[in-house]
Amino acid sequence: MAKQYEIPVGAQHISLLEPLHFKFTTENEKIVGTTANLFYVHRGIEKACCSKFKFRQVSFVVGRVCGLCSISHATAYSQVAEKLIKIEIPRRAKYLRMLVIELDRIHSHLLCLSHVAENSGFEALFMRTMQYREPFMELLEAVCGNRIQYDFSIVGGVARDLKSAVSRMILERLKRFKPQLDELVDIYQNNWSLSLKNKGAGAITKEDAMRLNVVGPFARAAGLEIDVRNETEDLLPWKETGFKIVTETAGDAYARNLLRLREINVSMHIIENIINGLPESALITETKAFPDGEAVARLEAPRGELFYYAKGNKTQILERLKIKAPTFSNIPAMVEGFRENEYGSVPAIIASYDPCLSCTAR
Amino acid sequence: MKTFFKAIGNLFRKPVTIKYPFEKTYIPDDYRGMIGFNENLCIWCRRCELACPPGAIVFSQNMEGRQTYHYNKAVCIFCDECIRTCPKEGALFQTNQPATFALKKDNINNGWNHLFEEAIESRAIYAAEKKRLAAERTAGVKKAVEENNHKT
Repeated sequence: MAKQYEIPVGAQHISLLEPLHFKFTTENEKIVGTTANLFYVHRGIEKACCSKFKFRQVSFVVGRVCGLCSISHATAYSQVAEKLIKIEIPRRAKYLRMLVIELDRIHSHLLCLSHVAENSGFEALFMRTMQYREPFMELLEAVCGNRIQYDFSIVGGVARDLKSAVSRMILERLKRFKPQLDELVDIYQNNWSLSLKNKGAGAITKEDAMRLNVVGPFARAAGLEIDVRNETEDLLPWKETGFKIVTETAGDAYARNLLRLREINVSMHIIENIINGLPESALITETKAFPDGEAVARLEAPRGELFYYAKGNKTQILERLKIKAPTFSNIPAMVEGFRENEYGSVPAIIASYDPCLSCTAR
Repeated sequence: MKTFFKAIGNLFRKPVTIKYPFEKTYIPDDYRGMIGFNENLCIWCRRCELACPPGAIVFSQNMEGRQTYHYNKAVCIFCDECIRTCPKEGALFQTNQPATFALKKDNINNGWNHLFEEAIESRAIYAAEKKRLAAERTAGVKKAVEENNHKT
């Protein structure tokens, strides 16, 4: 048996985007054991939501849980609060929520892809992917009024309407993005030097994914058909908008890249359908009821299933709010995925997991 | 080979990035910028203060009962909740001006916390004073009635 070394990565490391810490036990270059510690950024948001803020203000607070999936958090909370105060939101508000969620998914996936390229040592591809991401940030700014903190979903509906000029802009940008996406697919699929770092790296089998309860693109890349958009119809009508589940089989970083690119394609299809068939109705349902009882809501964030639980006691302030972010479910599989890999491919693997620690630690 | 020609071609293409402080970035017309306030239209109901999630709006009150609007651009999260709650259209409105940076000399955190507390306190003092005056007035009325009764 070769001599074993322990190598820590994080909590601050040049290739990490987020404050997470892994301790690798290696034999020569091969990783044989991993321990993870991911809770460096606890901010006490759940407690603040149950003590300081009124339930209508909480949707702005949870929007700041995460910068990349701000809209997913705000929407999931709004859905929970709407269940608690027992209202049905207008149809147009549902479709506008879906539109922003899908735009958000595109920019989040492009960010993840660019970081995989960067951490694999392909700086030019990183720049190119970020270049193609910028128009989507501008679209989100045009739709929501802000680049990152959207504050679009509020309890009872959505905050802003979609202007016709903006919807034309979205369609035009999507049309321009299609050849660019094909170019990205070509590079991520066929580039030989990128495949050296990504093929077989961080692979996880379907059985392991099932056993370790993986969610999101991580699970779908391993072949599991897990997608909240495929399972629920009561809160947001995904299937009407042409949603189709996509899966890959390999379960490695390469498969995750391709899966994300294919999901961007599906998202673009959904956005086009939503804009072409946007129903006319009010934007918000007004009510003066107070939250009462318990409710849960599930939503497919860019990284996987987001879960909200809330309990009300007929006052302005909630009794309990629980947020379970997708990365939290993926931690055991993240540890498992490093096994039998080279230490040198760790940055690329971490980036391909797409961890979101500010969601997880809240 | 394809990549090589692409790289050569990129030498003659315009850069994608912009020179930020000299060129302006993209800002839509309805960008969520600073909140404007029209004092003439305000009905002083203080609903915006109750609705504001971070507490960036506060009203102080002087002894004559006149209220003053205070707004902190550094605390504001530009969520528009105040505008949605406002019962009087046009009293609070959205501008597309991004907030300017808060400087150290503005003393934005401590100064604002101090101002916030003072404003709440000023309202409490005014309310107490009003209550006292009202009590005095009722006492005076009562006294007058009693005197009146006594006379008759």
